[in-house]
Amino acid sequence: MYLTRHEEALLAGEEGFGCQRAMELLVALGKIYDADRLIPIVSAHLSGVSYKTMGEGGLLFLKELSGDARVTVPTTLNPAGMDLQRWRGMGVDANFAAKQIEIITCYSHMGVETTCTCTPYVIGNLPGIGEHVAWAESSALSFINSAVGAMTNREGGPGALAAAIVGATPEYGLHLKENRAATIVIEVGDIREIFDLSLLGQAVGPIVGGGIPYFRGIHPELEGMKLLAAAMAASGSVAMFHVEGLTPESDEQVLDGLEAISIGRRELDVAKESLQTADEPELIALGCPHLTVKEVRELAKMLEGKQRVKDVEVWFCTSRSVRDECTKEVEVLERFGKVVCDTCMVVAPIEDQYSVTGTNSAKACNYLPTLCSQKVVCASARELLEGLM
Amino acid sequence: MRLGERASGGIDVIFRGRGISRGLARGEVLKFVEPFSFLGGVDPKSGELRVGKGNLRDHVFVFPCGKGSTVGSYVIYDLKVNGNLPAAIINSTVETIVATGAVISGVPLVDSVDIDLLRDGDSVTVNGGTGEVILEGVVMQRTATCFLRYGGEILMLKRSDKVGSFQGKWAGVSGYIEDGETARETAIREVFEEVGMSGITLSAPVRRMIREDDNIWCVEAFLAEAPTREVDLDWEHTDHLWVEAGKVRDMDTVPGLLDILDQLL
Repeated sequence: MYLTRHEEALLAGEEGFGCQRAMELLVALGKIYDADRLIPIVSAHLSGVSYKTMGEGGLLFLKELSGDARVTVPTTLNPAGMDLQRWRGMGVDANFAAKQIEIITCYSHMGVETTCTCTPYVIGNLPGIGEHVAWAESSALSFINSAVGAMTNREGGPGALAAAIVGATPEYGLHLKENRAATIVIEVGDIREIFDLSLLGQAVGPIVGGGIPYFRGIHPELEGMKLLAAAMAASGSVAMFHVEGLTPESDEQVLDGLEAISIGRRELDVAKESLQTADEPELIALGCPHLTVKEVRELAKMLEGKQRVKDVEVWFCTSRSVRDECTKEVEVLERFGKVVCDTCMVVAPIEDQYSVTGTNSAKACNYLPTLCSQKVVCASARELLEGLM
Repeated sequence: MRLGERASGGIDVIFRGRGISRGLARGEVLKFVEPFSFLGGVDPKSGELRVGKGNLRDHVFVFPCGKGSTVGSYVIYDLKVNGNLPAAIINSTVETIVATGAVISGVPLVDSVDIDLLRDGDSVTVNGGTGEVILEGVVMQRTATCFLRYGGEILMLKRSDKVGSFQGKWAGVSGYIEDGETARETAIREVFEEVGMSGITLSAPVRRMIREDDNIWCVEAFLAEAPTREVDLDWEHTDHLWVEAGKVRDMDTVPGLLDILDQLL
């Protein structure tokens, strides 16, 4: 792989240990994927934030790296293992909280913006069409590849952090235009509500695997794109998709000769059933990926003036920015549950308190059984919340 | 591959892989034959494998490729913190999780090495910068093999108990490549000596290395149409059979034969 003089210097350790490790990692990844060179990036988004998923090894790695390394491009963070301000109210124990705060401090020390969210694109980290970035967080990176037209691979946490420090990433995969073409056409019928887009993603992921689907018959807004991206990245490893007439690169697609499949009500029902393993939730958690302002407003409208009868814990997961922007709506929501920031049901240690979680997110339904030992109720937000009234 | 300097009881063999994570280390091989997930696969506090047997500490950990959660990268770092890092890692094909963990923990890592040639307890030196893996104290055996075909059937020979290796196993015509001889010349000479045929035309070769005890057999194999079904065996074999290619797998053959024959056909 070709390295500039500056990159060679970083690799030789001339700018400290952290930069050297970061360069070593980019060079190793470049070798694995046959990249010719590094290309500059305009932003990064990092996974590997929750102490629950990083563990002691992850924390110690960050401590070592944050000694002298700093990020050189705007960089945001994925959700942490708890609400950084109201973790006691979530039932998180003090030792976990201390470790979690150490992790956030390391990132902050490296110059990372510590608003912890899986939807960085609604809080100001929004690259433009054709701009190269290095993003981890499978749902967010698929969203910006697809809905925005920025270019990123499916990064792991350390790879994205290394790219943020160096300000560049190996040029391979989805950084090259020729690798962004549709590989399969999905004809969709009978989408009735936004929840169906989550199920659509669940149905399509296993069929497409790591391919690039081209959708016909759907017209999602930002929130629908977000749910579709998240579900396909979890049930498959989809890092990019096109939606006819909607996503920026959809017009350029050549569809002749591509395999085409149809997804309708039957497939959506099958997808839902495949995720459902229980009927009575102990925790209802919405906001995977994090609720947007629009979603918070819609939920508040649905719950305004309603009485809660059943005593089930409810979490509305969102970013602190969105919570701050929706003070009135938050008041309505908090009569039904907690508006939880910086975290979500997948990366918080919910298994210490709950064993059945209800959610409208197919992505969460994929991870809750393995990462949180949960049984799952998969239903729309309306169904889940009406069960409490 | 090339031959290195002589060591006691054999020679050093150098494999040229691809250097992924820098550093130089020597250790004993601990091998795991399936894709490995560091998350759940090893206890970072002790270094003990949870799947399979053994302790990673100071061993050269050999496995085909990584799998599973990306958190596995941090488990490798956790091994470092606990003083239980492997000396080095060798993969057939590296993927992101293991590469990331090796780099952030400073473990030399080489891939694109034929790990079938390595076994538990081998002493190896791994250079993650150059991609070289030096295997100590093995014996290189250079041989040529020729499979003769007549009417779609393959000639298989049963090795006598007077030959130096693989007695009683079924094989093609084969023999050591002698000094100054090419593999082609060996094959033609052996066909004449072992079964009494001449005037054959050899196919393009298939090359394979096969590990057996302390030997590495470098086999160069050919296919040729036999001029006759008449076989005139010498002392090296006790029996012969003309066999349909598909039936060879039912026979007790020398190591690596099926794979080589598949490629030739």
